[in-house]
Amino acid sequence: MSLLPYATAAWLLGIGLYGIVTSRNYIHLIGCLAVCQSATYVLLLGIGYRRDAIAPIFYDHPPGTPAVDPVMQALVLTDIVVGATLTALLLVLALQVFKRRGTLDPQKLKPMHPPSNAGTRDAGPREAGFAGEARPEPQP
Amino acid sequence: MSVVLPLLFLLSAASGTLVVLVREPRRQVFALSANGLVLALLFTGLQAPDVALSEIAVGTVAVPLIVLVALGAVRTDRPGQDAGSGENV
Repeated sequence: MSLLPYATAAWLLGIGLYGIVTSRNYIHLIGCLAVCQSATYVLLLGIGYRRDAIAPIFYDHPPGTPAVDPVMQALVLTDIVVGATLTALLLVLALQVFKRRGTLDPQKLKPMHPPSNAGTRDAGPREAGFAGEARPEPQP
Repeated sequence: MSVVLPLLFLLSAASGTLVVLVREPRRQVFALSANGLVLALLFTGLQAPDVALSEIAVGTVAVPLIVLVALGAVRTDRPGQDAGSGENV
């Protein structure tokens, strides 16, 4: 029991990184990143867990009853909210990549093909691998 | 209780593996939602009911919904193309 949370967190982080490396679709990659974040949830809650302890709610328990660590639970709560925000932000960036380049495959974003002129004015070789994200561009 | 908790750990590891191994994004949404549900059960077992509630709201409902919205936006942009294939001319 004492080793299982860490093993689960390590496995989730490893399989999420494997998915990120081998992904061929940005939306699938964002889902793999969510798996990596769930590794941090399991790790933090595994650190704060105590055997035979109650949840840190002392409404019907006397103060001093052994409870699990509420600080770790607050950290995991923050982590979940940050993870949802990060997922939304990355999905918007993936949509911008799709609108500029017409593909979601990371392999196809390499500067192999000549720059398409379908509404993209960037496509210099310096940013062809990155699809010009987070660069404000005046709309014509 | 001593049997349920390791089982939930193993189940969460298995569902995370399923999220990664389902390569098609529209099916991965379902795996992501199931992963959130399993994580919520695990958090309840770890005596963290508030985290379990927020995981149900965020990880099971909100994140798959915004992934679905993103998939819909990608597909309606080019009706003949599939977002999962990545093929483009």
